[in-house]
Amino acid sequence: MGQQIVLGQYVPGSSFLHSLDPRTKLISAILLMILSLSSMSAVSLSVLALVVLGLMLLSRLKIGLILRTIRPIMLLLLFAFLFNLFTGKGEIIFSYGYIVIREDGLVRAIKILVRLVLLVLSTSILITLTTTPILIADAIESLLSPLKRLRFPVHEISMMMSIALRFIPTLLDEMQKIMKAQSSRGADYDTGNALKRARGFVSILVPLFISSFRRADDLATAMEARCYRGGKNRTRLKVIKYSRLDLLFAAMMILTAVAVYALPIVFPGL
Amino acid sequence: MEARFECEIDKIETGVLLQDISFTYDLGLPQETKALSNINLEVRAGQHVAVLGHNGSGKSTLAHLINALLLPQEGNIVIFGREPSDDEAIWEIRCRSGMVFQNPDNQIIGTTLEEDVAFGPENLGLPQSELRQRVDFALEQVGLTELAQRPPHTLSGGQKQKLAIAGILAMEPSCLILDEATAMLDPASRNDFMDLVLRLRAERELTVINITHNMEEVLLADYIYVVHNGKIALHGTASDIFDQAELIRSMGLDVPVHIEIAGEIARLTGQPLQAAEAFSLVDAIQAVNCRLSDPPQARSGLTKNREAGQTFSPSTHDEFPERKTLVRVRGLSYTYNPDLEQSVKALSDLSLDIYEGEFLGIAGHSGSGKSTFIQHLNGLIRPEPGVVEVMGLDVSVKKNIRKVREHLGLLFQYPEQQLFEETVAADIAFGPKQMGLSPAEIELRVREAAELTGLEPALLDRSPFDLSGGQMRRVAIAGILAMKPDILVLDEPTAGLDPAGRDELLNYIQRLQEKGQTIVMISHDMDQLAGLCDRILVLKDGVKYLLGTPAEVFETEEAIVSAGLAMPRTKIFLEQLSKIDPSIRTDIFTPKEAARELYCHYQAGGEA
Repeated sequence: MGQQIVLGQYVPGSSFLHSLDPRTKLISAILLMILSLSSMSAVSLSVLALVVLGLMLLSRLKIGLILRTIRPIMLLLLFAFLFNLFTGKGEIIFSYGYIVIREDGLVRAIKILVRLVLLVLSTSILITLTTTPILIADAIESLLSPLKRLRFPVHEISMMMSIALRFIPTLLDEMQKIMKAQSSRGADYDTGNALKRARGFVSILVPLFISSFRRADDLATAMEARCYRGGKNRTRLKVIKYSRLDLLFAAMMILTAVAVYALPIVFPGL
Repeated sequence: MEARFECEIDKIETGVLLQDISFTYDLGLPQETKALSNINLEVRAGQHVAVLGHNGSGKSTLAHLINALLLPQEGNIVIFGREPSDDEAIWEIRCRSGMVFQNPDNQIIGTTLEEDVAFGPENLGLPQSELRQRVDFALEQVGLTELAQRPPHTLSGGQKQKLAIAGILAMEPSCLILDEATAMLDPASRNDFMDLVLRLRAERELTVINITHNMEEVLLADYIYVVHNGKIALHGTASDIFDQAELIRSMGLDVPVHIEIAGEIARLTGQPLQAAEAFSLVDAIQAVNCRLSDPPQARSGLTKNREAGQTFSPSTHDEFPERKTLVRVRGLSYTYNPDLEQSVKALSDLSLDIYEGEFLGIAGHSGSGKSTFIQHLNGLIRPEPGVVEVMGLDVSVKKNIRKVREHLGLLFQYPEQQLFEETVAADIAFGPKQMGLSPAEIELRVREAAELTGLEPALLDRSPFDLSGGQMRRVAIAGILAMKPDILVLDEPTAGLDPAGRDELLNYIQRLQEKGQTIVMISHDMDQLAGLCDRILVLKDGVKYLLGTPAEVFETEEAIVSAGLAMPRTKIFLEQLSKIDPSIRTDIFTPKEAARELYCHYQAGGEA
């Protein structure tokens, strides 16, 4: 069908962040994740917030687009905020009947909110928005490659990931086609109770499964015909390579980590 | 770079040699099936060989053997000097021969075109600079350089098959095996694809083995093997093979139209065709002309057929206005992704009536809007702007949709892929069940629909997935017929079937129409449309380009070609003949009728 299916949320571009090695971005994202989860002091969180703001600018993406990635976890954020807001000890700053808000609770609730927001923003800017899914798969393969010695099937897992990425649009197209065909035979997927709808999906899923098995079989034959015999002796057209930019970025990240851990010690009051 | 390519192609006389090869699937198990027995086949390096056979004849197994994807249980096989004896030899054989498979989607591995082309060479362990060179070269050869970074699912079927060729070229093979590579392509893409294969064969000195049931492709080959029930039934050059037209037909295969007409005339005049006499279109015309202008004296009794000849007169418009209009389409336009930059106008200002009992054909190049149009007919796509009414019901009104779909049964391409129930009967019953009919009524309708599509009662309790491709397709059609639609809409019902399966299915469709069923059918086969339909709608870039009887639509070749279509082959033959004798009628669309008409025409002329 003519429509483009956008995989993940990747936004094409040529910014500093787009051109970084995916491995750098993956490790950095994990580092920022650990930092934001492990730091509780206001000064550390401010440093992290500044870094995330810097990443936003470096990605050259529209701010609205970046902020939209928070939307799926809105409910979680609200829950975490409220849960912390009404607990804790210390001075009462607001009370109305049963509702009591104490200073301690308010501060913690705000910090939790900031931590979670920073966590989501840093991973979406570094990974989902600026890295193609296939590069993420490559990065995982490369980072896990030491495990090959332990007979961990690193190559196979990465091949599976990239084949999955390749076939998602094809299967979505096919699902649409099957839905249209069954609708033409009178199937109705929009009305009726849950049981009826669930049964309706059998008429989509069975053909989809059968065709997926056939595709898998065909694909395996096609891969063998093109001399595939696993990862051994295989070279790659696109090799991910570290550049000077990665070094620069890594230095920034180390600095961030030092700042996040050192500042609370230097300024214990904050 | 050129020199490097050449030195890798060793000059070995024999490319592929199969001696007494037999192959059985699931050998030793209860369900074992013999696919090939005692096959002897030889392909010289650089030769273009076609392997012809109906579905299930074993020709695909043969292709898999030649690429060492299967190993024979009996006999010797040598492929470019190598026997598939151990893993290393098997790997080398696969490196030397590339294979294009039938389904364009199921052989693409990469997430971009470039990555997919690189897959083979990557497996050869080539250094990165060489990979880059080979990928760029291969994409350029097939004309896909500009799309190198695109994801493959955005390509058309024809482009996907070209991508498959590029993936093989990048491995620099000696041999190209096409395993029904064009079966899922429309005629224009098919010609385009075969042109590419022929060009590459000449430039790269490739050996080509084309496994197919398409007659036109077979005529391109130097040598032909016909496989029937797991054995080589015939082999020889094209003219050797088509001397045996009757035998070919009895094996469920097609004979090129011009050979069929010439053969029929030869039969009527009692002057048999000589070897190679009707091989090309020009030869065939010569042969026919020669027989008709110089007939033997003995031709008793056949004169009466003149009467029969006259019944082939084309139906005229006049009979339609009195008929009841079942579907009314007015001012229909449709644009895909209207908000985006890459919006595509699929239909513009289309108006049309479909009458009770008629057989309406729809033709058009790929992307001409055929599929979009028929999806409007049962409300899968809402008309905006425009009006579509089925049996007086406006399809844009949501509460009408259910009724509309009961009145108008729509069957998509490859409908067997939508079967899902445990038994054939249950699958056919799906539609009637959704209509809320009583169990007794459903049972009755299932039996009727099965009978109409020639499915034996014994099949009804079997799983649909145990049936042959042609049978599965008839189950899918029965599933629509069981809803007793007033209008039956079929999107390329014969796509991917072999000639025998195709003819059988068309027979059932024709019988339905004789019983008064209104039918709308999309097809890429102009001979099919011209031979079956009362009227044909030709779409071009979403616009109603031509609409009329086959005789009217195929009046001028210029218009048909500009719509991206081909003339019916029978018509082409008659046009050529009419250059010699202008009084010959050219508005006949089936070979048998054409031969009879020609014969009668001569008889009338001879006696005057």
